[in-house]
Amino acid sequence: MAGGVAIVGAGGFVGARLVEMATLAGRTDVVPIVRSFRSVGRNAHLGVRHRIADASRPDSLENALAGCDVVVNLTTGRPADILPITRSVHAAAAMAGARTVVHMSSATVHWQVDTPGLPDDAPPRLDHWMRYARQKGLAENFLRERMRDARPAIVVLRPSLVWGPGSPWVMGPARDLQSGSAYLIGDGAGVCNLMYVDNLVRSILAVAAHPAPVSGFFHLGDDEHVTWREYYGALAAGLGVDAATIHAVTMDRYRVGRRDALDSLRSSSAYTWLKERIPQETRTLIKLRLARARRQEGESSHGRPAVTREMWELQTTRYPLPIDVFRATYGHHNETSFRRGIDASLAWLRFIGLHEPHRSALSMAAVSN
Amino acid sequence: MQWPVRRSKGSREPTRIAIIGCGAAIAGLHAAALRKLESRGTGRVVALVDPDRSRTAALGRSFRRARPFTTVAEAFSATAPELTIVATPPALHAEHAVAALAAGSHVLCEKPMAIRAADAERMLAAAASARRFLAIGMTRRMATGLLEARALVVSGSLGDNLRFAYRDGAVYDWPVSTSAPFSRTTAGGGVLIDLGSHAIDYLSALFGPPSVIAYADDGQGEGVETNCVVELDFPAASGFAQLSWNQPLVTGLDIVGEKAELRLHPFRPDSLLWRPRGGRWQARETRATLARDVEPRPERGAPRTYYEAIYYQLVQVLRAVRYGEPVPVDGEQGLTAVRAMDACYLQATPLRLPWLTAAEQSRADDRHWSRTRWLAA
Repeated sequence: MAGGVAIVGAGGFVGARLVEMATLAGRTDVVPIVRSFRSVGRNAHLGVRHRIADASRPDSLENALAGCDVVVNLTTGRPADILPITRSVHAAAAMAGARTVVHMSSATVHWQVDTPGLPDDAPPRLDHWMRYARQKGLAENFLRERMRDARPAIVVLRPSLVWGPGSPWVMGPARDLQSGSAYLIGDGAGVCNLMYVDNLVRSILAVAAHPAPVSGFFHLGDDEHVTWREYYGALAAGLGVDAATIHAVTMDRYRVGRRDALDSLRSSSAYTWLKERIPQETRTLIKLRLARARRQEGESSHGRPAVTREMWELQTTRYPLPIDVFRATYGHHNETSFRRGIDASLAWLRFIGLHEPHRSALSMAAVSN
Repeated sequence: MQWPVRRSKGSREPTRIAIIGCGAAIAGLHAAALRKLESRGTGRVVALVDPDRSRTAALGRSFRRARPFTTVAEAFSATAPELTIVATPPALHAEHAVAALAAGSHVLCEKPMAIRAADAERMLAAAASARRFLAIGMTRRMATGLLEARALVVSGSLGDNLRFAYRDGAVYDWPVSTSAPFSRTTAGGGVLIDLGSHAIDYLSALFGPPSVIAYADDGQGEGVETNCVVELDFPAASGFAQLSWNQPLVTGLDIVGEKAELRLHPFRPDSLLWRPRGGRWQARETRATLARDVEPRPERGAPRTYYEAIYYQLVQVLRAVRYGEPVPVDGEQGLTAVRAMDACYLQATPLRLPWLTAAEQSRADDRHWSRTRWLAA
């Protein structure tokens, strides 16, 4: 098969939706690539053949790229793997003679959008407090160097928060709204830079379809500019939660909370070292006890917001992410509006049982676009 | 039926156990419990059977006295096990269980018992003919919360007109070594066979024999379903079970009656919440206990985790070998779940997925496996 589009990391959130959208559009040129057979499970309903390859080994990946002109890197995983896998995917794509590499980065490399008109190719902030963002930045810098090569073309996409059915940016706020622990910093006027997952997939496929792709860095986001108040308000209305229950946080600056302290502990190498040495059975028992303790504590602290640094910075974003350069280069592909995205997200929350849990999914209607 | 206990009275020799299928189910779930039984001298793994020698070698590092075999026939003639654990892919359960029963071994077969009712019936006939038991590994039945819930349902404490909602789903993360579980030809189905066999058995344990009212899934072409919903009627309850391999469903079982509500978590064995209608949720203590060893007068306890539930299940199966006690779930009960799954597939319709656009849903409907099957017929 010539002209194939390889999706490396097809078992992830964006990858799985991309394969689903392409299959249901009747495309047969999209080649899902996953690391192991277990990752086929997520898209097993489609009946599409997956190729198995280790994205961290160029030799393994090169074989899987046979017949593909375009290589889309949607791998996810530990921050430490981001740079090595980016190098490996690029090397394999070059060896396989691919025309284009599409690399999924993130707008988080900027830290915060704190100036208007932030250039699409602004260098990443390597002093970011988040390891994930630093590693994304290092991977971008590697690709920036490789853009000097004649081939393959390298298109680095920097989407804002990817939301929609299946996204933690829907699940998290919905759970917080239901438990009464949702919060807005200040009056919720910060800009909520969102990218609906289907819009992101269409943008990726537009780059893949372009006859002469332009190497570079591109911001991606939805058309409409919404505030955090508008986003939480739309979800709250759909969930039947009184928006007045959303806490107004008036802190003048971020202060480290317990959730961030715990996350910091969890991401330490000592924690990982210890975790890997505790038998699964013991881990399950510890988790069970911790969950019980959390439940008991949750009952006493029900409704108290736990402000995280990430959310603090996101909610104090002052400007929308500029998306004009991508549109001028690759066209406009944001077919799903904010309202449609909210409707689909709410329908998904009902489907998974987070909202109206006693209603059978057999009685629910599909959302149309 | 009752099966003969062939051990000499008072024998304290460990039960000889063969394992057919040395993949993830054994290595990830059963191995720790089997090692515990070996260390207590109540069971001994004598044979490991798998066509893949690397797997028997890997598992052999945990069971040093076990002999590796690539065929079932060799293993049975060389080791004469009293109990065989069948943990091969579901499509092979019938073949391996029948072979073990014919060789005179009792059988603990991993769930699902089989992927078609005809195979399950063949297994039952083989057990009856050999006068050996056929137990099905429905580990969730070992939950003491389930026993307590059953008592509440039977006593009428929840009131009449029971309605239930059962959900179990997460993004698939089970280690598999081939793509066979994801093809309708090789696996027979997907999440219904995998998680649905548990769900139907769990609900049957609470409410009695089920009738399938409606069923829908998302399988397309040669793919298997990753999402499904089955609506079920029982003599005293009705509701639905929703299962997923790719969505983070809010996992649990809610039962609502006219007087009270219950909430259980299917793989947290001691989890049971209760509230009178309109009242506050409260944890309900479970008084039920299970045998914790194979002594004639066993100590008793309750599993706290899924792994402990596997241990308790094995203990009860060994007690069945030693004393002829009942197994936790027998072949007849396993057949009930398989027949319900058969009924589901016979009336399968496309499931509405809320994240699809109208055009995508229409295309998914056209590609639904039941339509391609109909077209082929």
